[in-house]
Amino acid sequence: MNAPIQIKGIVRGGQTLKQHRDEIIEATKRTGHYAGLKKMALRDSDPIMYNKLFSRLRAGVVDARETAKKIAASPIVEQEGELCFTLYNAAGDSILTSTGIIIHVGTMGAAIKYMIENDWESNPGVRDRDIFCNNDSLIGNVHPCDIHTIVPIFHEGALIGWVGGVTHVIDTGAVGPGSMTTGQVQRFGDGYSVTCRKVGENDTLFRDWLHESQRSVRTTRYWMLDERTRIAGCHMIRRMVEEVIAEEGIDAYWQFAYEAVEHGRLGLQNRIKAMTIPGKYRQVGFVDVPYAHDDVRVPSDFAKVDTIMHTPSEMTIRPDGTWRLDFEGSSRWGWHTYNAHSVSFTSGIWVMMTQTLIPTEMINDGAAYGTEFRLPKGTWMNPDDRRVAFAYSWHFLVSSWTALWRGLSRAYFGRGYLEEVNAGNANTSNWLQGGGFNQYDEIHAVNSFECAANGVGASAIADGISHAAAIWNPEGDMGDMEIWELAEPLIYLGRQIKASSGGAGKFRGGCGFESLRMVWNAKDWTMFFMGNGHISSDWGLMGGYPAASGYRFEAHDTGLKEIIASGGDIPHGGDTDPQNPVWDAMLGGAKIKRDKQAITTEAMFKDYDLYLNYMRGGPGFGDPLDRDPQAVADDVNGGYLVERFAASVYGVVLKTAASGLFEADEAATETRRAQIRADRLARAVPTRDWMARERERILQKDAGVHVQQMFAASFKLGPRWEEGFRKFWDLPIDWQLMEADLPIPSYGRDYSMDLSELPDVKTVQFVEE
Amino acid sequence: MPLDKQNGRSVQVLGIDAGGTMTDTFFVDADGEFVVGKAQSTPDNEALGLIESSREGLGHWGLSLEDALSSIQTGVYSGTAMLNRVVQRKGLKCGLIVNAGMEDFHRMGRAIQAYLGFAYEDRIHLNTHYFDEPLVPRHRTRGVMERVDMFGDVVIPLREDSAIAAARELIAQDVEGIVISLLHSYKNPHHERRVRDIVRAEVEAAGKSIPVFASVDYYPVRKETHRTNTTILEAYAAEPSRQTLKKITSAFKDNGSRFDFRVMATHGGTISWKAKELARTIVSGPIGGVIGAKYLGEVLGYRNIACSDIGGTSFDVALITQNELTIRNDPDMARLVLSLPLVAMDSVGAGAGSFIRLDPYTKAIKLGPDSAGYRVGVCWAESGIETVTISDCHVILGYLNPDNFLGGQVKLDRQRAWDAMKVQIADPLGLSVEDAAAGVIELLDSDLRDYLRSMISGKGYSPASFTCFSYGGAGPVHAYGYTEGLGFEDVIVPAWAAGFSAFGCAAADFEYRYDKSLDLNIAETASDDLKAAEARTLNEAWHELTERVLEEFELNGYTRDQVTLQPGFRMQYRGQLNDLEIESPIHTARTAADWDRLVAAFNDTYGRVYAASARSPELGYSVTGAIMRGTVPIPKPKIPKEPELGATPPEDAKLGTRRFYRRKRWVDAQLYQMERLQPGNRITGPAIIESDATTFVVPDGFETWLDGHRLFHLKEV
Repeated sequence: MNAPIQIKGIVRGGQTLKQHRDEIIEATKRTGHYAGLKKMALRDSDPIMYNKLFSRLRAGVVDARETAKKIAASPIVEQEGELCFTLYNAAGDSILTSTGIIIHVGTMGAAIKYMIENDWESNPGVRDRDIFCNNDSLIGNVHPCDIHTIVPIFHEGALIGWVGGVTHVIDTGAVGPGSMTTGQVQRFGDGYSVTCRKVGENDTLFRDWLHESQRSVRTTRYWMLDERTRIAGCHMIRRMVEEVIAEEGIDAYWQFAYEAVEHGRLGLQNRIKAMTIPGKYRQVGFVDVPYAHDDVRVPSDFAKVDTIMHTPSEMTIRPDGTWRLDFEGSSRWGWHTYNAHSVSFTSGIWVMMTQTLIPTEMINDGAAYGTEFRLPKGTWMNPDDRRVAFAYSWHFLVSSWTALWRGLSRAYFGRGYLEEVNAGNANTSNWLQGGGFNQYDEIHAVNSFECAANGVGASAIADGISHAAAIWNPEGDMGDMEIWELAEPLIYLGRQIKASSGGAGKFRGGCGFESLRMVWNAKDWTMFFMGNGHISSDWGLMGGYPAASGYRFEAHDTGLKEIIASGGDIPHGGDTDPQNPVWDAMLGGAKIKRDKQAITTEAMFKDYDLYLNYMRGGPGFGDPLDRDPQAVADDVNGGYLVERFAASVYGVVLKTAASGLFEADEAATETRRAQIRADRLARAVPTRDWMARERERILQKDAGVHVQQMFAASFKLGPRWEEGFRKFWDLPIDWQLMEADLPIPSYGRDYSMDLSELPDVKTVQFVEE
Repeated sequence: MPLDKQNGRSVQVLGIDAGGTMTDTFFVDADGEFVVGKAQSTPDNEALGLIESSREGLGHWGLSLEDALSSIQTGVYSGTAMLNRVVQRKGLKCGLIVNAGMEDFHRMGRAIQAYLGFAYEDRIHLNTHYFDEPLVPRHRTRGVMERVDMFGDVVIPLREDSAIAAARELIAQDVEGIVISLLHSYKNPHHERRVRDIVRAEVEAAGKSIPVFASVDYYPVRKETHRTNTTILEAYAAEPSRQTLKKITSAFKDNGSRFDFRVMATHGGTISWKAKELARTIVSGPIGGVIGAKYLGEVLGYRNIACSDIGGTSFDVALITQNELTIRNDPDMARLVLSLPLVAMDSVGAGAGSFIRLDPYTKAIKLGPDSAGYRVGVCWAESGIETVTISDCHVILGYLNPDNFLGGQVKLDRQRAWDAMKVQIADPLGLSVEDAAAGVIELLDSDLRDYLRSMISGKGYSPASFTCFSYGGAGPVHAYGYTEGLGFEDVIVPAWAAGFSAFGCAAADFEYRYDKSLDLNIAETASDDLKAAEARTLNEAWHELTERVLEEFELNGYTRDQVTLQPGFRMQYRGQLNDLEIESPIHTARTAADWDRLVAAFNDTYGRVYAASARSPELGYSVTGAIMRGTVPIPKPKIPKEPELGATPPEDAKLGTRRFYRRKRWVDAQLYQMERLQPGNRITGPAIIESDATTFVVPDGFETWLDGHRLFHLKEV
């Protein structure tokens, strides 16, 4: 027969998924309103029905998360809540989400859009009761250990939406054990990678998938139960949507699924208008990648370099409440696992916004549509090479976003929203990871999530709270020690608030905490460290100090077995003042590593070895000399501040009260503070003079190679940013800083090849590049 | 309640619900008739309010307190005093002994405690999170050097000198109680018990009497934050409550009573005020209603019940399935994670006093979570409230009689409510005031309905197999709304809805429940020998718990043969972190076949609660706990049984009509006096049935009839 083939799409109304998404994008672009919805007909004509739909659907996704997480065996999921469920419309834009790791509202949406753009509809087909799995960081996932389960939702044979569930699994079969490993320098070492694969039909997983996936990771039991958690949650939500449609009708649901996104967009715009001041806000973030060290063992010589990652940002807020975030000047991706896809970078910013700017009922992709992003291609947050690794993209994501808190907080401060000011998020580390054989004599990997409870940045009216939150999950928790000891062959010898880890200030940053772990019942065991060490990852605000950066403490051949038996002193509690350590002397001839090398690769550990897991604090707000002296005394009494910093940082002189506790000596404090202020003035030089001196250093290239490499990479990818730099420092035209001239390798500098260059691949562009 | 029988009553049962503002008493006589007394609470000396409430209630029967008390056989107390003591941090000055190096863990809490109980918007809004003061401050916390691992093996033997030093330092600080909680003590109690004995010896040597609480003697279950918080509550809050209960008991004895008070406990039974684990009486009030529903269900044959209670500030839901309560083992309360068995109750912060607001940026309608509480709403001019509440909607729409609120004690001003509603909600939404108010009610009803539905489906059931009980001051106002379309088998409003919690307390079993952590692990394909061995281990644990239960009853003068025992267990797939509590289908476990029956009961429940696809038998099974509950028969309120009369309500029950707005139109609702309606009466909506403490709304499209037990049945027609 020669009759033309009638292509009928699976989307309700007969469009194909691609046609449907194209139409939404076109209408959004044309009108400036999501899906062209200049008016929200359902909300305006029947606000009660609209609110009912919203309230019921959201209760459903929240409830599904609470119920499903109990299926999991992984403490990461069950205790820390590292999971999230999100409901999408047919175009893959999120309508509503549960709480949890909500960065995946964006990343799962990106996976759905990848399926749409690459015609999954015709091959492998998208049918009712299918199950898809994805963890591909090249198409938007944060890192491979976040596993997505995606289930399409059909009504009367037509697709009306999607539901996605994500959990952070303990191991993805990377080069090293743990979910966010450091040893690999290319994606191929990141572990199991799955691209929107159809893994089940008729609500049942394929056996080949089960066999392949379960042997691709070290911690099979966690993997299995995590997958059942995700599927159960998705199915609960699908059933709820079916019930809602049965009651309220498909038309209302369908209408809601698009109006809700526009609602979210407007919500953001209105909040920006209400809480900020139009203008340009600039800030910057850095983090260290200290790979030239002996304890970082990587397969490739060209990766064995110390570098610094760099994210300048410019936030432009317009009077109409729209805004643009431009990251021109960011440094290039690198041969490490700290690169990020543009979707994870922007989704994370969305997460940050939900914690401060739009903590409202309607958080969804509307806010993403309401934000213009520019991420130059080739930067670490928008790499142009399909070899880059992502396993711990958070390393720099968290330090880049903390800068944005400062930008927003300056705006809040200007508008008088002092309680909304937040000096920034902590660097969410250390990550205790490793593996081997555990106490049950099984192959195992560990990935402590205690650092879901870091210190919080100070506000303009109060200290940041301590050991409480993580930028990627505001519902932070450190979990019970007894549960971590079930999951890890490591017993606790200490869990203590980390003194002076929060940045000093009129209001200080919240403190992190530290756990001292002794290896116990482990065999063929390894562990490593992951966090910032040489660089403060955040900044204080308006005179506040940054949080303390990280360091590592590990001890081998400790002799603890004998010390325990003989009744000798056992290291316990916290490493309260690392500059004046007390444990080291208790451990006689032990091999101790105590330094700023806070990133390492797998080192061998055995029973009775020690490992310090130190969770960072948050930055402070305001000049520490303005802090209430008694609050400083209370901080020392409470273990939030190392005693000697009371005088040196806060200018507070302490005396001992009758109770045995410290109190502030008011008169002596006043004198001390006056002296510090006088010293500051004595040290100060006019800006002009300082700039002249610094300019001379720039002309001489008087900086570490890693600093030069960072600037050279930023100049290359950000010509406008370079121009600004040159203008600011008044640099002559012949002053050039090129990576090629530096004495370290820079593979990837000139040659790269993007995923989009592979046959049959249509990547989805989400940001201006 | 009929007021015709004034003499010759023999009052049998007293139930007490001592809330923060009102103290309700509930008396039942030998014929099953009951009366409710109300008085203001007297937190400084609770006994005063109780006596006053009792006098008030008995006054309706023309009885004096002294006349009534001598015949009462059983009295059950429930109240919020202990909870308030915790929330306001007004407990005893306690010391805490934990592992050396971990002295910070109690004050660090679990970070989850920084946002427990928050609404969605605040859970994600970081700057709103905060920690409460720890129950025991850091400077009264001491560490002892020892470590036991998760298998119960000793890693660091106890260094007794550290325990002695800890004890002495705390004693020197004049603490009023010492709590001890060491890691994994639930698995190996020896170190913790040794520390306990050392502390006791030191207390004695110091010539003091300071009670000592070892977590393993109270709540020997995993998760140190939960276990420690709960044990601290025993020392911090429960001991003062014990003194209060003692005072109440003697106040009543002074007035002629002969019974000992029992207290409603979190597991849903009542325990003696002398019981060791008194912390589990921390929330008792709201549980009362659930127990009342369970009791009615047992007597009248309702096996699956959804209990719903709306007060001024919250909507509480609980489920009874097959006459059994659902128990949660690591609940949270007062922003503390705990390890008590608690009747699973979910609360939404939405009640009659909840404020209604529009989000200024998105125009979304927000209900609560804060509430005007007893100040009703804008409609009460003297309240000082300026933000409209659900009660304002009630007044605008004709649900409530503005002249008969709390029996006319408070006069409400409809116009005030109407004006405020117009400005705050109706105009911004472009709706008429009536449609806005009706819309808010519809939204609230829909929220509550979803909540009920998700709770039932979360248990793997459908509403069709449940009877919904609606009580509390505002429950009957909304019963039609939150049950509409769910397809409940029946919807019941007891005529004594406002006093239902106190009734439930009076109906509660005298029940002790003990739990023991176990760690039995077995593969799916384990041999019969192994299965039998595990069954026997469980059986031994049941036996041990049985002894503890029987001992408690012996203290209260009951013999062993009077106690009915029901074993239970907690099971999970091996490696999981959450277990399910299962009522055992068998009373003793010895053989492989017995084991298989336990496993089958678990698999069945698991598939219902989560999803059949979430079952993971290939992982094998772990039994994580043994449970034993024991009850003894006690006098309970008799459920009234009156003959049914005609379907037509008597004329003297009619109170005229009131305009009532729903679904975009005004209708005239027939008003009735609840107490004058007779069994058998049938009322078709629109009608409103009023009594002093509650209002039962029957809109058009609904019908209700009153049965011989004084229960209203609500139906969609």
